[in-house]
Amino acid sequence: MDGGKVTPGRTMALLAGASVLRLAMFTLLPGLPDLLAGRVEISTPVTSFKRLQEGLFLYNHNVSPYDGGVYHQAPLLLPLFSLLPSFAAFPLATYMLYIGADLLSARALLRIAGSGEAGESALFASPRREKRASGLVVAALFLFNPFTIASCVGRSTGVFTTCAILHAIARAVSGAPLGAMVALSFAAYLSMYPLLLLPPLLLLCYDRQLSKHATQSLTQFATTHLAVAAGVLAALFWMSFLVAGSWEFLPSTYGVQLTLSDLAPNVGLWWYFFVEMFDSFRSFFLAVFWLHLSCYVGGLTVRLRRQPLAVLTLLLGIFAVFKPYPSISDTSLFLALVPLYRHVVPLMRYTFVVAAVIMYATFLGPAFYHLWIYAGSGNANFFYAITLVWGLGQSLLVCDLTFAVLRDEWEVERPEMVGKEIRQI
Amino acid sequence: MPSTNAVSFNTSRVRSYVFRLPLFTRAVIIAIVAFWVIGVQSLWDVRTWGALIPDEIGITTLYRLNTFPFIHLNAFHAIMNILALTPLMERFEAEHGTLTSLALFFGPLTTIPSFIYLFVEKFVLRSNTSVMGASMWVFLLLGMEAIRTYKVNPYLVVATHNIPTWTTPIALLLCVAALVPSSSFLGHLSGLVVGYICGLGYLKFLAPPEKILRWVESKVNIFGRLPYYVNMDQKTYGRFGVLPSSGGSPIGGPTTAKGVVGTGALRLRRDPRILKLPPYLSLLCILVGVVWLFLLPLDDYSRRTYISENALLPGQVHTYFGGSDQNVFRAYKHEVNALVGKSNIECWLTGLCWSRINDKLESIVKGLGLKAGRQNFTYSAAGLVYSGENVYAILQAPRGDATEAIVLVAAWENVKQELNRNGVALALTLARYFKRWSLWSKDIVFLVTPDSIAGPQAWVDAYHDAHDSSRVDSLPLKSGALQGAIAIDYSQESRFESVHIVYDGVNGQLPNLDLINSVVSIAGGQMGMGVALQEMWHHNDQYPDRLRTMLRGMLKQGLGLASGPHSSFIPYHVDAVTLQPFGDGWQDEMAMGRVIEGTFRSLNNLLEHLHQSFFFYLLMQRERFVSIGTYLPSAMLVAINFTIMAIALWVKSGQPESTPAKAADGAEAAGETVTKLNTSTPAVERELFLPLGVVTICQFLAVIPLYLFNHAPENMLTPAFVIFAVFNAVLPHALSSVLTNYYAPSAQQYQLIKSFSLLLLGMFLASLATLNFSLALLVGLLASPLTFMRPWPQSPVLRAACTVLLNTVSPTAILVASAAYWRLDVGAILREVAFAWHVCGMNSPVVVWCVWWPAWLAGSISVLGKSEETKKKTSTVATVKTKAL
Repeated sequence: MDGGKVTPGRTMALLAGASVLRLAMFTLLPGLPDLLAGRVEISTPVTSFKRLQEGLFLYNHNVSPYDGGVYHQAPLLLPLFSLLPSFAAFPLATYMLYIGADLLSARALLRIAGSGEAGESALFASPRREKRASGLVVAALFLFNPFTIASCVGRSTGVFTTCAILHAIARAVSGAPLGAMVALSFAAYLSMYPLLLLPPLLLLCYDRQLSKHATQSLTQFATTHLAVAAGVLAALFWMSFLVAGSWEFLPSTYGVQLTLSDLAPNVGLWWYFFVEMFDSFRSFFLAVFWLHLSCYVGGLTVRLRRQPLAVLTLLLGIFAVFKPYPSISDTSLFLALVPLYRHVVPLMRYTFVVAAVIMYATFLGPAFYHLWIYAGSGNANFFYAITLVWGLGQSLLVCDLTFAVLRDEWEVERPEMVGKEIRQI
Repeated sequence: MPSTNAVSFNTSRVRSYVFRLPLFTRAVIIAIVAFWVIGVQSLWDVRTWGALIPDEIGITTLYRLNTFPFIHLNAFHAIMNILALTPLMERFEAEHGTLTSLALFFGPLTTIPSFIYLFVEKFVLRSNTSVMGASMWVFLLLGMEAIRTYKVNPYLVVATHNIPTWTTPIALLLCVAALVPSSSFLGHLSGLVVGYICGLGYLKFLAPPEKILRWVESKVNIFGRLPYYVNMDQKTYGRFGVLPSSGGSPIGGPTTAKGVVGTGALRLRRDPRILKLPPYLSLLCILVGVVWLFLLPLDDYSRRTYISENALLPGQVHTYFGGSDQNVFRAYKHEVNALVGKSNIECWLTGLCWSRINDKLESIVKGLGLKAGRQNFTYSAAGLVYSGENVYAILQAPRGDATEAIVLVAAWENVKQELNRNGVALALTLARYFKRWSLWSKDIVFLVTPDSIAGPQAWVDAYHDAHDSSRVDSLPLKSGALQGAIAIDYSQESRFESVHIVYDGVNGQLPNLDLINSVVSIAGGQMGMGVALQEMWHHNDQYPDRLRTMLRGMLKQGLGLASGPHSSFIPYHVDAVTLQPFGDGWQDEMAMGRVIEGTFRSLNNLLEHLHQSFFFYLLMQRERFVSIGTYLPSAMLVAINFTIMAIALWVKSGQPESTPAKAADGAEAAGETVTKLNTSTPAVERELFLPLGVVTICQFLAVIPLYLFNHAPENMLTPAFVIFAVFNAVLPHALSSVLTNYYAPSAQQYQLIKSFSLLLLGMFLASLATLNFSLALLVGLLASPLTFMRPWPQSPVLRAACTVLLNTVSPTAILVASAAYWRLDVGAILREVAFAWHVCGMNSPVVVWCVWWPAWLAGSISVLGKSEETKKKTSTVATVKTKAL
């Protein structure tokens, strides 16, 4: 398992295997894609493929896609999908697009794992870094993760965000800060929340920049690259304006995420809370929830300054739990990065509990959703209780990984404590 | 400094700490409490007397400079200040002695901050805010402590930034100012400033000289007798040392001073005895689960049924069906008999004559003035074709808007393939009768289907547009949302005694209990006939009969087969039951009609869908039930027993004691174990890949039986089953020999195989228990031996015994045994299952083949397992351990 050397042949075999599996699921199980596309665990209001098709229909009939309040995704997805052959007539093109996005994500993961950034960053070298997971294993764990496959087959547009984020990280670790900024801008353009990844990503870029350019101070570096990101975003917005014809896409895409106006159930913690809430408290709690989501960025970035990739991983885990419209595609992104920390796994304490909780939630969630929606013998509390458990499992993983990474750092400073039992207070 | 008290909470330590507080600290606490008690009365306002009010300070009121720290605004204020002050004051006193503390705190350490405060407040800010409370002391002492900490440990490192430790009280000051209402920032600040100055040693001259103190102590002997007095010789005792307030470093090795509770839990976790416990715990779970089930029929555990939905009002209306309707019934019976007689037997079987029969029925209902529709369907399962044609009529509600409907179903054949002549005739009669009434607020649909399972299923599917249009026609005519359905199964020709209510839906789903209660109340209460459940034709309401009823119900729900025409409705959240007259009595068709009329009148009253009562229940008599809250624990306990064992095995697999050096890479593993063992953390790297692979393969193999038994043609079912049973008996041996020969799994890997498979089993069953309790319990009990299976590398006898045991509880063996018990043909059972799978969407095969069977397979593999190094004696373990230690 550790000896999985990355050779072009093996990589090709892995990618081919993953795409054949996905293609088989698309074509041999005709009911499955639509079934998955309808699941609330996969399709949130901001990533749903069905809503995308609705928007596409309106767009192709020269109606503003945001009329009717169904479509909440980025406007530039529309020309992309209308360039493809129509989904109804020739679905294979769409399938290939999604499969391609997954494969690109896997390639980015290969590059991230190959760089060894997880074990040895510019400012910190883990004493355990010898025992790192091979890129092939990391990529395989991503590609054959049921959550990833389900999001791909369910054609959630979160797949593209995942791809963009992984590319941003991959560009950053390979010393291409401009590319990283462009990729992150794309991710932020598609789903907004990746903007919060900017601080750790800037640090990662700064740490990993190639020596011939490494003359700037951090402030200067940050300013230039923020300007680049802002420029790319501005360009994307301007193009969106041209496509959509007005600025109304801003409230319909980002505004929906900020104000949570669509309360469709999902695996996150927001919807039930805001369903139950009196309107007068709504804006306050929206602010609180968003503040809570963003407050991790500063703290983690400062605390784990020496391991920006760990910050990115942990933040992605936190977002998968606490963002407004999470889906299992966000979880799959987090789980894709966790194997990079193979070397600190022995320091983690709750791996079994986390695995068991996540698996229990995976099975009980659909069961309770069925009881609520179809059998009518349960109610919304059933499903919400399970989403709480799901969130608990993931946050436990985040905590445990944080602990392991910190402990790894700490053992460098306190070599006499290696292996001793410690207690957090 | 504040973290030292936060190590762990322990009441005994708190108690001893409180008992060991030194004298001055005690006095201060008592004074604060006393002043608060005085402040409770309203005669003398102690607060205006003692507070530090800048404008009030004169030469006669200087006492205020000393009294204000003792006086507090309210109890909360006092408590918070006491909590903050006590540890700090205690330290100060322990360090400097009681006399010094007394002198300082009644002298400079109180007056200097007060003067600073007064000066700033009165002459700089020119206002008059009164202050009181001991928090000034708190900040003063905090300032001193902070300077002291700064000297020892100057920086707090957060990431790459060094934060000087003396700033912490300032942060606290700001927090308090921001968060605590009506706190005096200025007062706290002046205390803190004096504390800093004092901590830096500039106020040392204020302390009374030690010589004088010693002299006083020697002269005034009484001090020595005072309890808890800290004299000059003891005073430095306890600084950063023995006093409980100063434990070890906040993060450190498990020193003896650490909380007993925490280490206790840790020690418990590492205790090898704890790992011997789970099998017994699992066994206990299973036993409790089973015993729980058998307690349910007792009066204390079951409840009497009741009608929750007030709108139903069952049995409250007079029913008018009867009289001349009897003649109508006879006429329709005649027509029905003619229709049955008209078709010869082959025609009946192939279903070719349905159009002819339905022509006639359609003309009858159209003659009544109802709209009629027809629907063809063709299902194929196990190589057989089931086809037919439904005919139905809709009576539009005179008082409704066609948004809701109730269904009356009469199948030509009941589930036992008996002709339902009376039922069809009664449905027609009721259609004619209902048409005459103007009180219906919901549409009534009369549905006549050729058989009891496929026909209703096709109709309901098509009604909800959930049908496969290549096999089932769409409905030409529809009404509103279905609110309930009653099916008549009246094949008995003679008069009857009681009504049998059949209520099990597909996959163990049940109709709302209110519907059953209504029928019981109408038939039993209003009409005076008996009501039976679950084919318990005689029920004496005693424990054995109740238990039998409940177990029959559970078995039916567990199998998940459709039990009548009503079964197809329940998955669509349409509550439905089948009414079946039985017995030899004096009730006639009209009585049956009145029961149905009464039930329809009740359903007609509904304002919304039945939702009040239970959807999960076990009936044990017509008026006794247990609800899910009471019975779910028994299935959950059975499911949990697997999870407990899985967790135990996981923990065990990670412990070096039970996993000796790996055979494959002995040297490396031993080296690793050495480094691991001299630490106290029991973390052995687990070899996950092989166990995960084995469990995954077992799960995937499940596709074979699932596909085989659902797609084999009928005549191949029995041979296929025989072949599979043989294959099933050989498979574990084959897989096991492949494993041992090619991969040589270690004992740890066998534990992990079992752990993962039990984890999956427990998880599936726990999920399933919420959907189909009975099936989960059934499978859980049948799979329970798997918990206790383990490899027996040294004892072939035990291994053989376990293998035999497992083979007797294998899914195939159980299937054969139950077929023999009910004297059924295995092929017929499999055909029924395949039919239910294809037509009704029954899930039980998935549970059997994809949940139970893989777990069984993994269990069998682990029983047959021969791990390499368990053959080597435990001496290896011992050497490794000694080397390590």
